[in-house]
Amino acid sequence: MDLKSIGEDLGLDEAEFLEIVELFIDTATADIDRLKAALSQGDILAINEAAHSLKGSSGNLGFMEIYHHSQEIEEATREEVLTRIGPILAAISKGIETIESALNTKAT
Amino acid sequence: MAPCFTILVADDNRLNRTIMAKTLSKEGYRIVTADSGLEARKIAEKDPPDLILLDICMPGESGFDVIKHFKSHASTASIPVIFLTALSDVDSKVEGFNLGAVDYITKPCNHQELSARVRLHLKLSIATNSLINSQAEKLRQLTEAQASFLITPGQEPGAQFGVHYMALHEAGGDFYDVLHISDDIYGYFVADFSGHDISTGYLTSSVKGLLNQNCNQIYTPMESMNLINGVLVEILPTEKYLTACYARLNRRKGIMDIVFSGHPPVCYVPKKAPPRLVGADGDPMGIFKNAIFGVTALTVSEGDRIYIYTDGLVESPSTKRIWCSGTDKMLDACDRARCLPVRQAPQFVSHCLCPNRETQEDDMVILAMEV
Repeated sequence: MDLKSIGEDLGLDEAEFLEIVELFIDTATADIDRLKAALSQGDILAINEAAHSLKGSSGNLGFMEIYHHSQEIEEATREEVLTRIGPILAAISKGIETIESALNTKAT
Repeated sequence: MAPCFTILVADDNRLNRTIMAKTLSKEGYRIVTADSGLEARKIAEKDPPDLILLDICMPGESGFDVIKHFKSHASTASIPVIFLTALSDVDSKVEGFNLGAVDYITKPCNHQELSARVRLHLKLSIATNSLINSQAEKLRQLTEAQASFLITPGQEPGAQFGVHYMALHEAGGDFYDVLHISDDIYGYFVADFSGHDISTGYLTSSVKGLLNQNCNQIYTPMESMNLINGVLVEILPTEKYLTACYARLNRRKGIMDIVFSGHPPVCYVPKKAPPRLVGADGDPMGIFKNAIFGVTALTVSEGDRIYIYTDGLVESPSTKRIWCSGTDKMLDACDRARCLPVRQAPQFVSHCLCPNRETQEDDMVILAMEV
């Protein structure tokens, strides 16, 4: 993953973008925790809110894979098919790990 | 240094706020952020920004709630608001525009699009404000010019009058004049133009000129009004007209001739009798060449007072009060004003009828003269 290039697309220099990516990982992790908790309780509204938040932040940073997965979760809540969400959530977590790993590489 | 524009970014998502703040601060804007609708309202009220980027979906107060608040408060009503939304449905966009947003940006937003839209709407806002300031300056000049047409009691002490004039807007639609016809003869004219637009302000100068030309001791008041009407029919724009009352007082003879042109009755306050209304039906001026005006003559004595006023004082469209009910209060107020000098009486009567200036719905003028 080329974080420098994604940052340039946003008009931000590398240092600024890395700082924002760090913030993204924090907020995305919090959103995923909220998603998991809401899913275990079957709370459709809370799932939708967390997915909406994740979709917004990932989209703004150009992490389009996570953006589309979040959108799929929103669709699943609208259709009330919560069983679809587990695998999507796993894919999102994997995506976050990839970003985190790219960030750690830059940091070292 | 050129003024620095301030942009308020209201979004509950911290990451989104940070990205937008970084993107826009690079363009030289001062950025303030709010993480909720409530905070956005507080910030904007305390220190109004030049532009607001407002997220629609926020917990608590939504962007729609917040913009409704902004648009209903004078300090924030003119600030351009751009909605930030992940929603791409047409209904949300339409609702945003209906509530007063100038534009929307669909998230995820491109930083170049964000900067371009912010720049565009700041430019439009500057142009609009500049236009408003320029128009306000023209109106101020017009107000000053109009005020210079209006005679004050100090300029014509022999006329023994007082007046209270309140224009609803900068260019008032009401007009009055006092004419010194001869040593013992004075003319008192009160008129109400239809509409409050700028052209009304300019027309008052024409009427003042016509009064000076046509109100003299040779013509009867009715003849004077007929002559003026003939000119107004030619010069007034379509659908523009005025209602008026012209009273000519001959102190030596103790006679007051009054011509009514679609105008409310005058309030006659004899020195030693209860006040009463005196009026007559008549066509407005400036519409018909052969208009028919109402006329009446009063035999007056020293110390009697006559109040001429426009309908703004006794009518209220919002409360559906019409002059015939409003004039009961008028009679009472004029009765109570007997103890005051004539110069102060109009203001007292006006205050009795319309104590709260903020609820004024029309121009109003009240002119009192003492025999």
